[in-house]
Amino acid sequence: MPPDRASATDANRASLFADYDLGGFFDEVFDADNHVRPHYAPLLAGLDRFTPEDLVRRARIRDAAFRSQGITFTVYDEGEGIERTFPMDLLPRIVPADEWQHIEDGLVQRVTALNSFLDDLYVGEGAAIHDGIIPIWLVETSDGFNREAFGIPVPLGARCLVAGVDLVRDGEGTYLVLEDNLRNPSGVSYVIENRVAMTRVLPTVFANQQIRSVDHYGRSLLNALNRVAPPASGDRPTVVVLTPGVFNSAYFEHVFLASQMGVELVEGRDLVVDDHVVSMRTTQGLQRVDVIYRRIDDAFLDPVVFRSDSTLGVPGLMAAARAGNVTIANAVGNGVADDKAVYAYVPELIRYYLGEEPILPNVDTYLLWDEDQRSEVLDRLDELVIKPVAEAGGYGIVIGPAASDAELEACRVNIEADPRNYIAQEVVSLSRHPSLVDDHLEGRHIDLRPFVLSGGDIEVIPGGLTRVAMQRGSLVVSSSQGGGSKDTWVLAKGAELVVDSDAETHDGTEPAADDVEELS
Amino acid sequence: MRLDIRYRTTFTYENLVRESQNELRACPRSDENQGLISYRLQTWPSSKVFAFTDYWGTRVDAFGIRLPHVSLEVVAESSVETFQRPLLTVAPHLETLRDPAFISAHHEYLQRSPHADWGRGIEAEARRQRELVGDDVVSLVLAVHRVTGARITYARGATEVGIEVEEVLSQGKGVCQDFAHLAVALCRSQGIPARYVSGYLFTRDDSVGADVTDGDVVEVQTHAWFEAAIPGFGWLALDPTNQKEVGVRHVKIGHGRDYDDVQPLRGIFCGSSSPTVEPRVEIRRVRTNASPVFDRHVRDPQMEHQQQQ
Amino acid sequence: MLARDAESLFWTGRYLERAEDTARLLDVTYHGLLETTPAEEAQAWSDVLAAVRLGRVFAEGRRPITAASVSEYLVFDPKNAGSILSAVEQARENARTVREQLSTELWESLNSFCLELRGRNLRADLEFQPHELYGLVRRQCQTVAGVAAETMARDEGWRFFVLGWNLERAEMSCRLLSVRYRQLSPSAFHQWMNTLRSASGLEAYRRTYQASMDPADVVEFLLLSRTFPRSVLFSLRTAENALGHLALDGQLTRPLRQLGRLRSGLEFSDVRELMQGDLGEELRQVEEGIRQVAASVATQYFSNSREFDLHSLHLLPGEGGGR
Repeated sequence: MPPDRASATDANRASLFADYDLGGFFDEVFDADNHVRPHYAPLLAGLDRFTPEDLVRRARIRDAAFRSQGITFTVYDEGEGIERTFPMDLLPRIVPADEWQHIEDGLVQRVTALNSFLDDLYVGEGAAIHDGIIPIWLVETSDGFNREAFGIPVPLGARCLVAGVDLVRDGEGTYLVLEDNLRNPSGVSYVIENRVAMTRVLPTVFANQQIRSVDHYGRSLLNALNRVAPPASGDRPTVVVLTPGVFNSAYFEHVFLASQMGVELVEGRDLVVDDHVVSMRTTQGLQRVDVIYRRIDDAFLDPVVFRSDSTLGVPGLMAAARAGNVTIANAVGNGVADDKAVYAYVPELIRYYLGEEPILPNVDTYLLWDEDQRSEVLDRLDELVIKPVAEAGGYGIVIGPAASDAELEACRVNIEADPRNYIAQEVVSLSRHPSLVDDHLEGRHIDLRPFVLSGGDIEVIPGGLTRVAMQRGSLVVSSSQGGGSKDTWVLAKGAELVVDSDAETHDGTEPAADDVEELS
Repeated sequence: MRLDIRYRTTFTYENLVRESQNELRACPRSDENQGLISYRLQTWPSSKVFAFTDYWGTRVDAFGIRLPHVSLEVVAESSVETFQRPLLTVAPHLETLRDPAFISAHHEYLQRSPHADWGRGIEAEARRQRELVGDDVVSLVLAVHRVTGARITYARGATEVGIEVEEVLSQGKGVCQDFAHLAVALCRSQGIPARYVSGYLFTRDDSVGADVTDGDVVEVQTHAWFEAAIPGFGWLALDPTNQKEVGVRHVKIGHGRDYDDVQPLRGIFCGSSSPTVEPRVEIRRVRTNASPVFDRHVRDPQMEHQQQQ
Repeated sequence: MLARDAESLFWTGRYLERAEDTARLLDVTYHGLLETTPAEEAQAWSDVLAAVRLGRVFAEGRRPITAASVSEYLVFDPKNAGSILSAVEQARENARTVREQLSTELWESLNSFCLELRGRNLRADLEFQPHELYGLVRRQCQTVAGVAAETMARDEGWRFFVLGWNLERAEMSCRLLSVRYRQLSPSAFHQWMNTLRSASGLEAYRRTYQASMDPADVVEFLLLSRTFPRSVLFSLRTAENALGHLALDGQLTRPLRQLGRLRSGLEFSDVRELMQGDLGEELRQVEEGIRQVAASVATQYFSNSREFDLHSLHLLPGEGGGR
């Protein structure tokens, strides 16, 4: 990029970014010298005609559109469910093609190894255990290790049919894996809806960008599900999405996925098992089901095997899966591999199963049952992040530097009582991204959850859910913790990154706010 | 000893039941102490049985019935040969329990589990036994076995599934799985790996272990006992309810961390409430030249669907 | 399609129609009563309660029958599952469970309708601008129905939606007549006119019958018209058509047989004979017939769902006879 072009862009951002402060963090948009990173230049050029008020107005339009479309999740407060929208920040996060290639390679590698590990554990010989890569007791004490799933095969070994791997960038901009989500990772509906919303609310900022599309997700997911169908189900297997029902916080996503794939959205009561074959109850009688993409936790899947008080699941389902008459995706028992203590062993598992060096490193992690590591951690509790091993969604996390003395003390007591149940990690100075706060832009910490599909070949959806910690300084970016999200743009290879300032991108055809409202 | 076992359970419901899905763990396992000769399972109404071996090595029969019925009868017949168990010839020191390889190999049987969780009462009792017997693992296990029998008396229907072992200890009565759970908890509290065993016992009366003549048929229930891991030997099986070592009259179905892992019959049904349950086990000792079967249960042949092992 | 989804669509249709009918009925009653005596007024409001079959439940609340009490009860009382607000909420909840079967436009129009109702101060609306409120409900219900007609594929889901919608409508028109048929004197002229207004049928009626307000004409129009979409016969024909599409290979299902008999009974009846005979009994039978059709539809298509009475079996060693 010619220098004069860069300075011109820098000048243009004066209005929106007037008081923008890098705060000493790795910023996704600006480099340490406060210059716009080249892959953000076209976006900023497209934005420079907007005043903060314009953006605020558009944000309101977006909120109204999300509400009327029912793009919500439910927050339960004292037993009362409140439907909330997951706020989308108007400034997209942009990942250049070469960075994405690196991420994609790393994710394919990691998920391949995790699938191998799970298959080894549940239907294999436990080779990684016998060869001393991971201690047997660690597996046996994992809440996610489901002995009830032992011996149940999954076609192609695609146990993590949908994986959501949370990535963060540290102070140098290095991508690190923060955690794996291999049970029921959610959020992909927001990836797609955010894109749709962006094209409606800020159509002009897409000009001069070659952004890889994400709207083929439904097709890719259906393909993967078809490929793991039991061999006997023929060319056109019947796939369904199994939801706990409308009261589930992610119900919108379940609806969304079923309709994107054009398959039935079923509840447990819609399915029956006859002679170890699963069918759904239709207006014309029973229809056989071959693949169940379930969004119900393991413990609720089958009251015969798991919690007998659960009415969400399907009695007899596990035996049907074991008999090979139906495939359950994601596989039952995946929790053992996204246990945060097992996470610490994933780099070793990659070396063991693939003979490769991990492409995406883990965050430095301490295992607290090890006495030496534990005592070091307890000495430095106020500098570290402590996480319970089996929780998802940011629950139970203690961030040392931000915690009160009382919280740290409680944390110490918990660790000493049950060291297996916690891990400690170095605080990662998460990268930040400008985000709209009230009427101006401020840096907010972000992470990235790309979605990875297994089913023979492994496919990574270009993009993912960028989550934003909406509170200033907060490092917790989970949607259940009041975060927001960003549309995430992965640039196509060889895309032109230079703005052609002569080809005016904002020639007054930008629709007025009211028109936009009708569009959405 | 050659034994023929007939496990039979009948559920009678108040109203029509429209669906029932179940898992049965009633098949004797084959191991170094016993060999399974034959096994077959029938249900009325008939069902398609799917059999598999679970994580703990126990055979599981999964079956479901989805037509209206007012009773469900499950009959599992097996023939099994039991062998004399090897004599205990070792007396390892308690220190041997701390060997990391031993711990790693038995890790699951050292942890607390829902039905074998211990508190102060159990821990104190176990420590007392430990002080009494010195530093030998086998002596401690035998002491646990004895004190289990001494601290609780057999009382039918005294407990339900879900009761804590501490409570069993303090109320001083229970049924066979309470004896087994208490012994397991006592062992584990002292770092001795222990597991819960589900099986059958060929005897007229559990509480005295009275002998039975060849050819007699006795009616019993499924039984429970425990096994403790002895370094350098293997699993030592003891029957605390009867205060006996486990021998040729014991037929093992399977083992696990506690009852939940080897529950004989678990399932759900849909459409009625509170069934009356009639479980019955008949065991007969067979001389090797005798016919190995009971008189065939006569039923409507069209309803009969057989699952032959 | 899933039995449960079919049921949800059926009820979405029913609840929407219920909300619209209730709004129409309240609107007409309210504005028809501005110049009447208190006694007439009380009678009119208890007729309204009778028409929506909520008279007895309302009486249990020991409230006086006034415009305000009945309107509040029928518009937003949370204890009344049949209030307009409840009906719209339930239409939305049912639609939400089958969202993947609906067009986005349909869901959005229903969802924003519901959110708008929730966001309004309905008590104030009733007090200051009831007509606007009822107009809004009517228009929004019609919008939803229109969006449905424009955007939904004519598949099974659509048929169940139409079926629920028209069975509800037929039942409501039938009840409107049941409540009014006793007032046969010509002096009850304006009640008859209101009845027609309640069914949005006054203009259409006049084009056919001009200025006549002969009760027989009104009965014929609301019960037997082949052209007016809110008449009982017309609604039943529409419902029958939907049921016919649902039956595989032209099979004559039980609900289809019942509905066919009911419809043809009306098709070939003569209003003069009806007026001379026991019209009340006739209407009661038609209403009962509609209920039976709905019950058969449930048995034929929905009853396939499992009831939630799972019990777990626990069997202890040492329980029962021996040890």
